[in-house]
Amino acid sequence: MTTDTRLRRITGHVVLTVLSIACAFPIYWLYATSLRAPGDVHSLTILPWPLSTANYAAAFANNDVARMLANTAIVALLSAAGQLLVGLLAAYAFAAWTFPLRRTLYLMFVGTWLVPFQATMLPNYVLLARLGLLETLAGVIIPNLCSALGVLLLREHLAGFPKELLDAARMDGRSSWNILWTVVVPVIRPALAALGILLVITAWNEYFWPAMVLQRGNAVVQLGLRSFMGTEGNDWGPLMATAGLACLPVFVLYLVLQRHIVQAFVRSGLK
Amino acid sequence: MKRTLCVAATLVVAGCGIGGTDPAAPVDRVPELASDQQVSIVLESYNFGQAGPWTDTFTELIDAFEQAHPNIDVTAQKPQGNSANPATDTISSLQSQLTAGHAPDVVQLGFSDLDFAINELNAAPLDDLVGTDAVRANFDGDTHPYADSARTLGDWNGKTYGVPFVFSTPMLYYNKTLFAEAGLDQERAPSTWDEVATAAKAVTDATGKGGAYVDCLTKAAKDWCFQALVRSNGGRVISEDRTRLTFAEQPAVDAVTTMKGLVTDGLMPNLTQTQAVEAFSRGDLGMILESSAIQGTFLKGATGKWDLGAAAMPSFTGREAVPTNSGAALFVFASDPAKQRAAWELITFLTSERAYTTIAEKIGYLPLRTGLVDDPDGLKSWAEENPYLRPNLAQLDRMEPWVSMPGTSYLQIRDGMMEAVENAVFHGADPAESLRAKQDEVSDLLPDGDR
Repeated sequence: MTTDTRLRRITGHVVLTVLSIACAFPIYWLYATSLRAPGDVHSLTILPWPLSTANYAAAFANNDVARMLANTAIVALLSAAGQLLVGLLAAYAFAAWTFPLRRTLYLMFVGTWLVPFQATMLPNYVLLARLGLLETLAGVIIPNLCSALGVLLLREHLAGFPKELLDAARMDGRSSWNILWTVVVPVIRPALAALGILLVITAWNEYFWPAMVLQRGNAVVQLGLRSFMGTEGNDWGPLMATAGLACLPVFVLYLVLQRHIVQAFVRSGLK
Repeated sequence: MKRTLCVAATLVVAGCGIGGTDPAAPVDRVPELASDQQVSIVLESYNFGQAGPWTDTFTELIDAFEQAHPNIDVTAQKPQGNSANPATDTISSLQSQLTAGHAPDVVQLGFSDLDFAINELNAAPLDDLVGTDAVRANFDGDTHPYADSARTLGDWNGKTYGVPFVFSTPMLYYNKTLFAEAGLDQERAPSTWDEVATAAKAVTDATGKGGAYVDCLTKAAKDWCFQALVRSNGGRVISEDRTRLTFAEQPAVDAVTTMKGLVTDGLMPNLTQTQAVEAFSRGDLGMILESSAIQGTFLKGATGKWDLGAAAMPSFTGREAVPTNSGAALFVFASDPAKQRAAWELITFLTSERAYTTIAEKIGYLPLRTGLVDDPDGLKSWAEENPYLRPNLAQLDRMEPWVSMPGTSYLQIRDGMMEAVENAVFHGADPAESLRAKQDEVSDLLPDGDR
């Protein structure tokens, strides 16, 4: 190994180490603050000492954290499942079928991605009010059941799907519905998995729309977090404790599916 | 940030269709409710956006109200929105619900929104709804009337639209422990800005910690406390007839220049509002001029570590300090007569002696029925245990209202003014030039154009 190569390698490791610390430190600080004694939450010492679980006790005393986490999981899973299903069906139609105005319709579909949330926020809100769905989890989930991003990504993936496989399946007499589930889905499962995880994490972290729909309580965890911020100052201890708990399911999801997620992202070309 | 701006813009556009009727037009008197007449109303308050004693206390009060009025059902909710502080979402939340056709019946709004709430969102005039005598009787109370300076804060053109509910005044909090280390008298807080500068220098020189922070000088602080600084120096931010902006006139420029001097002399650290509150709570700052509503945060940080002191807002040498109020009033937006009557019943309950006793004891808010603090059956024992209360109450006698800016662009005017102040104090801009340029710019946003 030449000196230049060794230098480049060391430099690379130093840069990566610094970046890793920069990424990990806020998460460490979150948990460190959550474990400080209530009177020490503004302390700038690196190590929290003495350790205290008082902030977690305060978080549970002030909010029904277990219910918030359960509700958030329901919203995240159902929103992601809906977006995956709609995305899969739409992408399959656009990729495997030829029909008039196919390209125009696809562009119009994907073009909705460019419409900012703020433009659709009020019409959606008024519609929910008329349907009587305000203050319900259904009101949070239903407007998010379709995602142009999902259609776009899956359609691009299906565009590279071998047409010969579809033709062979048709010659076998399989129906389009049967072909989708027995031929297409097994092949694109890594892409579906990667997109699904992305959608679950996005829905888990969603704050603004639940804040519009759920005014009478802190039904999901992101709203519970804000309940520790207010006119009379921020209660950082319980806030960090709740944030730490809110991060755990996503961390666990990542740890359990780490290899699958990385492979899926690489193979599907998702970013 | 971009999302917040877009939301604000959307709501402003949506809000254009909300106002329009003449707020001076009389509203019919609403009849009393029959004892068996069931009514459901919605109360929107930012207090329900904050967990802990805020939500718990107001939930307790609502429960007590429903027991006392079994025919009225109250649903409580917090404002919609994505701001860190739910109190800043009140107007946009109300606008979106008005647009959707189901506005809350009683809403807690800040005094900064007074003009807009009345003239654009058509808050109901309480004198018309229930009669001037009833409004006056509520302010007079059973035994303890409202403080004189508080009674008219929700008035407009001689009518009461909002019943002042909770508010605070700017207080000078100081770290007695750092004062002792700096050789200063722990029991004598600075009473003028010159004394603040002297004490800040002593603390900085002796301890190496921050001297003083004035939380009235940034966009995030809004303008309630900046108005107090300008009023204390003999000026105003808008003319008394509300037709002309005056925040670039000499009294305001001099006040900003004094504050900028604290920064350039190294006596006021260049911190954000949140950083300053945390630094003071941590014991890293000698003094902070701050809303008395934040006192609980300071007490929690000080416990077992350092001693907290509190004093009235400092004055400019040779003048008397003129504190203004932050806080909010309760407004009625119900359109159905039965809901309007129920809304008034709720307001009278939430501003009663009983409610103020509960609110002061459990949250620490200033009781606007100030006589309660001398009543053994009221808050006397609580007041004796709370040494920080008296200087706050004493400020009520010379308090002047936090003036709301006029028109539909009132928030842009207010925020523009505070941007100019922040640029001058913390970012090196010349106070006179910065304020003049911004005043010329935002004067176009006044209701009748450039004035």
